[in-house]
Amino acid sequence: MAAVLLRAVPWPAVSGITAVALVTGAGGFAWPGGAQILLPIAFALLAGAAAFVLDEPASAVVDVTPTGRARRTAVRALALLVPLGAGTALVLAGALRAVKLPWPAVGLALAGSVLLGFAIACVARRYSGEPGTQASAAAAFVLIIPGFLPFVAQWVRPFPVTGPHPGGPSSTTFWSIAGCVCLAAIAASVPELRRRRSP
Amino acid sequence: MTALAGRETRRYVRNPVFLAAVVFTALAVKSWHANAVQEIGTISPYPAIFLGGFGMIAAFWLTQSTRRSAEALDVAPTTPQARTAALCAVAIVPFVLGWLSFGMFVRIQPLDGIWRYGAFSSSDRMAVLVSQIVVPTLGGPLLGIALARWVRFPGTAIVAFLLLYGWVSLITILAWNHANSVLFVMLRFFAPFTFFTLTDGPDNVDTWRGSPWFFVGWQLGLCAVAVIVALLRGAGGRRQRRLIRVLVAAAAVTALMYALTVAGGWNHPVVSHLGQAPVPIGHSPHPTNR
Repeated sequence: MAAVLLRAVPWPAVSGITAVALVTGAGGFAWPGGAQILLPIAFALLAGAAAFVLDEPASAVVDVTPTGRARRTAVRALALLVPLGAGTALVLAGALRAVKLPWPAVGLALAGSVLLGFAIACVARRYSGEPGTQASAAAAFVLIIPGFLPFVAQWVRPFPVTGPHPGGPSSTTFWSIAGCVCLAAIAASVPELRRRRSP
Repeated sequence: MTALAGRETRRYVRNPVFLAAVVFTALAVKSWHANAVQEIGTISPYPAIFLGGFGMIAAFWLTQSTRRSAEALDVAPTTPQARTAALCAVAIVPFVLGWLSFGMFVRIQPLDGIWRYGAFSSSDRMAVLVSQIVVPTLGGPLLGIALARWVRFPGTAIVAFLLLYGWVSLITILAWNHANSVLFVMLRFFAPFTFFTLTDGPDNVDTWRGSPWFFVGWQLGLCAVAVIVALLRGAGGRRQRRLIRVLVAAAAVTALMYALTVAGGWNHPVVSHLGQAPVPIGHSPHPTNR
């Protein structure tokens, strides 16, 4: 059953965006100072790839089959190993090349980014059979916008900074809170889990 | 055609991504204050990011949304080129907002102001602002329409946005580290957006090589190429041949603009200090400059 469910994952979208993220992130190691710029973009792309995992063009049929939403979501979550694996390879490559970044915090940012993309897709999947496009854009915006707007960056820090801390919550604090919110959102978006919680 | 353009424009301005872009641009413009910045490049790119970048994503979605009804549209009396032209007309909305942002910027930071613009003349300062604030708001949506006409993958717009953002950020850092290298000058201008000035210390502004006005020409050339590429989709026979000829001509003019951009401007990057004449970088008596 799991193999059948996994076959329905839009692999070209997931693996295609993951490959672009891998090339982008690897480009960051080619030049000094590039990792701080390109790794956040690679992570935003990985979050975008994760957001496509739940896309189901035949949702009108699939949603009424006996296989529950929770099981389908759990099996499809296995596809997150692709963006997570690619991101881990980038983190390891950076750590091995002795690029100066707080790598444990970067690893947490990677996991959080992928989880964020998946959580947004889970919530959007309740309303649309193919939430990938909108969910990937939303995840990328959340991850990238703090880099543009200083007054947002003060409170939302999706990627750890090097050098003196500019104040406000750190990336680790941000992802600790955001990760819990994402897990709660995933749980709330699955009808079976919602029903189990209610009396 | 006008009715079609009006209809597409109404759909575009109701798109949540475009509305978010307008809100973020308004917030950014609201944060602009005179004397708040040392160098214009720290605040000028917001309209390009939001109205240009987000506008590209909104235009991509708008164009792709017509794919599902392609069979019905194919029997409509309008040609694919007329529909594409109507879609391209929506770019006027962010373009107008880009000019408004430009007006706001010039109001708080007049063109005849001091060294925040680096060592550029008033005319070049205007070109820098037009290239950083106005033209990207036109080019972004046009790029989104061209991409949507040719690429089926729905995540293309967000991937393109992130890659362009990454490219401009990376090449800016590299150009800063290799300010005298012709190769990096060429790479810096091989983008739809670039910086012309940078600050790396108190009371000084670096001015990089390159001609701002020819860069505006390069950007407008890219806009023309995007429109023609979008129009080529679905064209056949004589119309296709004519469009290809126009595309070749537009690409040639764009390439010429690019070459003139790289060749123009200062021969060496220079640094300006408040109340002093600009000097080549490396010859500055101030310790903050390389």
